[in-house]
Amino acid sequence: MLRRWFLATTWLLLSAAGQAMAEGSPSSSDTSRLEEGESIYQQYCASCHGRQGEGMPNWERQNAQGELPAPPHGPEGHTWKHSDAMLYRIVAEGWRDPWNKTERLTMPAFEDALAPAEIRSVVNYLKTLWTPEQRRHQAEESEGAPFPTQSE
Amino acid sequence: MNNPASRFWRTLLLTSWVVASLGIAGVAGAAEEALPSLSYDRTGERLIKAQANQLFKSTDRGETWQELPLPEAVKEGQWVTASVPATAEQTLYIAGPSIGVQRSTDHGKTWQELDEDLPSENVIALATHRQQAETLYAVIADDGLYQSEDAGTTWKKMDSGPAQPVRRLVHSDMEGSMQTGWLYAVSDDAVRLSMDCFCGWRPTGELDAGRVYDVAYDLDAPERVYVATEQGLWRSDNGGQEWQSVTGDSPALVALAHSPAGTLYGLNREGELLRSDDRGQTWTPPDA
Repeated sequence: MLRRWFLATTWLLLSAAGQAMAEGSPSSSDTSRLEEGESIYQQYCASCHGRQGEGMPNWERQNAQGELPAPPHGPEGHTWKHSDAMLYRIVAEGWRDPWNKTERLTMPAFEDALAPAEIRSVVNYLKTLWTPEQRRHQAEESEGAPFPTQSE
Repeated sequence: MNNPASRFWRTLLLTSWVVASLGIAGVAGAAEEALPSLSYDRTGERLIKAQANQLFKSTDRGETWQELPLPEAVKEGQWVTASVPATAEQTLYIAGPSIGVQRSTDHGKTWQELDEDLPSENVIALATHRQQAETLYAVIADDGLYQSEDAGTTWKKMDSGPAQPVRRLVHSDMEGSMQTGWLYAVSDDAVRLSMDCFCGWRPTGELDAGRVYDVAYDLDAPERVYVATEQGLWRSDNGGQEWQSVTGDSPALVALAHSPAGTLYGLNREGELLRSDDRGQTWTPPDA
């Protein structure tokens, strides 16, 4: 069962990478990096953003604590609207919505837990969750705002 | 642009837009009232007023107005707004549902159409970026929000926009955005806000004040925001998270603009200018 799940996941990642490569994105064409990215995502991100990147319920409205819940990463979310530079920064440094009623980083900073290459991998994995049109849009946004050079 | 056929289609477009607006926004009356609009040119230190398909400038705080020339095609069309970039001296943009986006760099003597790359001329709102002179935002009716980063030469669709039709769009450099700033979108029912990375439109605080007309913010303190509504002027000191009614002799205003000197300007329905130097508490005409 586990082997079947592993094969299916690998096939999906390879398909997404192949499609993305055909469209000129994402910036990393290394499918093993995508697998690494998915593994990191499941370990560090899925507990808030969902195993499939579905986000938290009612993510567009503040919860009882006055915080915006974790958004989805798929086509219904807005992750695809941010450049590589911005996504890298959010993962590395964390984020809180300025209108949140609390001061904490609702998106924690991962720069002490993840190496720069791992942050790139997880961002590139998120790109496999988007539509081809969204990937094109995000690639254009990243032309002037790529991953930071120190992350290479 | 000036042949009878194009005039016919322009008139038809205008009629369709008015009808569509009536249908969508539920505005009472036989025809939508074209409200005047106001903007402040920081570079040229002048006020720009758009009213009844005419364009005016004032360099003496509204005491006198000089009409700026417009192409005939624009005069016959329907246009709604004028906008001036922060750092591009003498550049002026106008936009409207049947004229698209147009630019003049010679005080209106000549105008250049900038909608070649837009899917439609049906532009219902336009904004310039607070800091980036070549970044523009245009709202196309029933389509969405487009951004240009090269002064209108090319455009890219960024977002479908709020669900309600946008009447005014204002860019702010208030802190807290993931990108470079924020966009306020004024619809009849509310003011909504998005970071300029377009990661979602959020409603501003409760504003039970009838129809909303315009928004402006303090250029020296962008978190201080003013809204002109059917029930007077409202102010927020935190970017729009909460609104409070401005008490005093607040007149009925339909357009707002803020100058760096701290003066808040407003237009009433007739296009008459009033100004306030105490955050909207008291208002005086320019010659007072």
